Amino acid sequence: MHGFSLRLCAFAGEICHETMSSRSSSENFRRILGRVVRQDFVGRAGELDRIMAQAEPLNAGRGLLLLMEPSVGVSELLRQAYDQIFNQRTEVIPIYFAITRNETTAVSAAIEFLNTFVQQYIAFRRDEPVVSHAPLTLQDLLELAPPADFEWIEQLVDAYNRLRFSNDDKALVRFCLGAPQRIPAGRGRPFVMLDGSQLAEYLNGAVVLGTEILRVFGRGGFSFILAGLRRQILEAAHDAKCNFELIDMLRLERLDATEAARLIEHVARRQQVATSEAARDLLVQQFAGSPFFISIFLQAAREKHTSLLSYLDCERLYVDELFGGHIHRHFADLLEEISPRLDARHLLIRLLWEAAAGEEQTSSFEVWRKRLHMAANELEDVLHRLHVQEFVNWDETTVEAGTGPQAWKDYLKIRYRLDVLNEPRALVVADMLADSLKRAPHTMARHYKQIANAGLRDLISRFNTQQVPTVLFDYKTFANKYKGAESETIVSGLAAETEFVKLPQTVHLASCSAFISDMRQICEEDHCLIAHTFEEGTYTDAQQVIWVAADIESKLEVDVEAARLWCERLENIANRLGFSRFQIWLLSNEGFSEEAGKLLDRRKAFSSSRQQLGLLASRLGEATPSPVVTAGPPDEFLMVVPMGEDNELIAANTAEQIAKRLTFRPEAINQIKTAIVEACINASEHSFSPDRKIYQRFRVESDRLVITISSRGIVPANLNGTKSGSEAKEAAEERRGWGLKLIRTLMDEVEFERVDDGTSLRMTKYLRPQKSP
Amino acid sequence: MDTPSGKLVRSHCVGTTAVVYASDYLNKLTGEKIEHECRRHLNCGCRALVIDFGDTKLVNSIGISILLGIIDVAEKNGARIVFSEVNSQTEQLFEMLGLTRHVVLAKDEREALLNISRYETTPIVH
Repeated sequence: MHGFSLRLCAFAGEICHETMSSRSSSENFRRILGRVVRQDFVGRAGELDRIMAQAEPLNAGRGLLLLMEPSVGVSELLRQAYDQIFNQRTEVIPIYFAITRNETTAVSAAIEFLNTFVQQYIAFRRDEPVVSHAPLTLQDLLELAPPADFEWIEQLVDAYNRLRFSNDDKALVRFCLGAPQRIPAGRGRPFVMLDGSQLAEYLNGAVVLGTEILRVFGRGGFSFILAGLRRQILEAAHDAKCNFELIDMLRLERLDATEAARLIEHVARRQQVATSEAARDLLVQQFAGSPFFISIFLQAAREKHTSLLSYLDCERLYVDELFGGHIHRHFADLLEEISPRLDARHLLIRLLWEAAAGEEQTSSFEVWRKRLHMAANELEDVLHRLHVQEFVNWDETTVEAGTGPQAWKDYLKIRYRLDVLNEPRALVVADMLADSLKRAPHTMARHYKQIANAGLRDLISRFNTQQVPTVLFDYKTFANKYKGAESETIVSGLAAETEFVKLPQTVHLASCSAFISDMRQICEEDHCLIAHTFEEGTYTDAQQVIWVAADIESKLEVDVEAARLWCERLENIANRLGFSRFQIWLLSNEGFSEEAGKLLDRRKAFSSSRQQLGLLASRLGEATPSPVVTAGPPDEFLMVVPMGEDNELIAANTAEQIAKRLTFRPEAINQIKTAIVEACINASEHSFSPDRKIYQRFRVESDRLVITISSRGIVPANLNGTKSGSEAKEAAEERRGWGLKLIRTLMDEVEFERVDDGTSLRMTKYLRPQKSP
Repeated sequence: MDTPSGKLVRSHCVGTTAVVYASDYLNKLTGEKIEHECRRHLNCGCRALVIDFGDTKLVNSIGISILLGIIDVAEKNGARIVFSEVNSQTEQLFEMLGLTRHVVLAKDEREALLNISRYETTPIVH
């Protein structure tokens, strides 16, 4: 007997037919292949359910292709599925196999698959998870096989040993991959999950493993999952002539911001890495919700004992990672696979970066061939690999560079500067760190603006032939009727409206910049939208109307010049895109001036203020947040209030009560209250706050009251001290720029504290105001 | 919670002068209500406006910017405008932001109406 100690139980009986769900929530859930406990596995609940459904008897014999976006990560999802199926103890036997970069040939990978299959089969049949990861040979496994399975496994091993020396690689590969078919009836139903199939295409030898896997699995009669890069796996399935009637597909994309934030919290806790909310949200945006990048980044933080509390912490580690960490290795490995020769790789880096950084990102295949000095077939191979990784878009004739995640672009840039330009490493490191730090607030600002405008996007998508009062699309009339009116009056007024507009059904909605790239230079992506709609939901030419909507950034009513400019801009877009029937809809926070209103009437353009938009949203069904108030320690009062609804008064009245305790004079109390009100208004108006909350801290000291008003979101240009001369002049001309001026006059000390995300304004009032020196 | 913004703006006419009463908190919403009321009275033929701040305890910069808009509208309509019963803190803010250059401040409503009557030909009706 070998040294590996196993509990040789007499288990060899029939398969238990418990229902799938009967043990999944058991307290005795055993972690087998999963690298994290179930509670820490976040963000892929829907996908896990879908995989579990694939293992149901209903889907017996069907395959599921997991079409992955590059760098989303799939391994843990499949390992979790393995553990869940294993623990359920039904007739379904989970088999998980990952092709790794260590495999060099199709034959070696296929043999490894056979070994893994037998090992995991026996582990399941013996109900001994430890067998799944033990280093065992086929001979060892044969000895561990339950008596009921011994005969067929012995035959399998014998057949393998005969084929192994037959010099017929293809037959050997097919035999190994087809092993799950050989499980006798009544001994379980295999459910094979294959991870890393993107690597199968490039193994050495005469056999193309990827195609063979699809051929064998597609005709094997057992259920399977094949996870691979989305651009590659579909092509492979077509090449293998799969029966698509027996194949299902599941797209695996990046996590949304909420799930990605949860993932960071869980992984950081597990890796014992301290993080802040601001740093967490930055990482979500910087890695675009990629579980792969998030996980390896936090792993790097743990390895380097680095906290991730500030933007500086994050960007320092990010730059370290780009230059020599996990991220570096990931991209270096990919590039080496794509272009193994070093000289060719340097040329490729140069071309990729120059094409991405240049104005014209698309060029012909021939240009690439000449620049890389490659034969056509060699270049085709390189471009195919780049295309599969989504580093370029290649359609056989043209190549578009500049795609891929931000980390890839940054990696490419530093390799270009180091390898092609031979710049000093210290300079490149310093520049990359500085650039990353400068980019961070912009990354967050873009995200916050997207959130703020998501409402408009959502609203248009929910039009769905609903009928709403026309006045909601006509600011001039709305202002005449309802400006300054009670909200109850407005609601009852709208209910009594007799003129209605029937909204169309939106069938396609996209950012204007998706149609015309120039628009990226004019406004944020979600500030200008194009909706293809049909009136009455009737799909005819006559009923087709394209809505072109733009949200104009303005703190005051939009004047006639700006309204004209936007009308002309949107009309121009509609004409360029050949829209025969279109509807312009302009939005602005505070609506439009009277003159602008007349112009919009003449041009038959719709116009709405933020208030109208809110009313429209409520008619189409939208929730509002509820207030949250918390308290702090005795000498420090903490309070969080939702933005809006005159909530600044709650803060002002709280400050009044605190100031009275310090025996401030009534006049000073009023000044404090006014300053707080102004600070809250600034926070609400400027920040594009993601949580729509104002955080207030009142610290009582013997001779002073220190008040800090903070909010998350964008730092307004006129508040961060970086405004240009002309901007300063404009701000001074705007009446709404008075808030900060008032605060500075009313309080004794006013200072903006440096925070990564949003603003934090600290105001101090002394019991006896300090005299200036 | 009942917010000051939720309250109605009171007003009445004294001859061709409209007296509009600001509420205890002058912000965007209450400012717009005052503006609406002032415009309504001007459209009905009023030749002067008195805005009374007797109840006003707190103002914010948006409310003040709306007051400037009301002053503009009054000027365009050739109407005089007087602010009455402005407390010292609010007066300080008005001065700080330049409102007092464009508007007369009166101790109370009576003084405001007297001030306006000096420029009017029509008698004051009580």
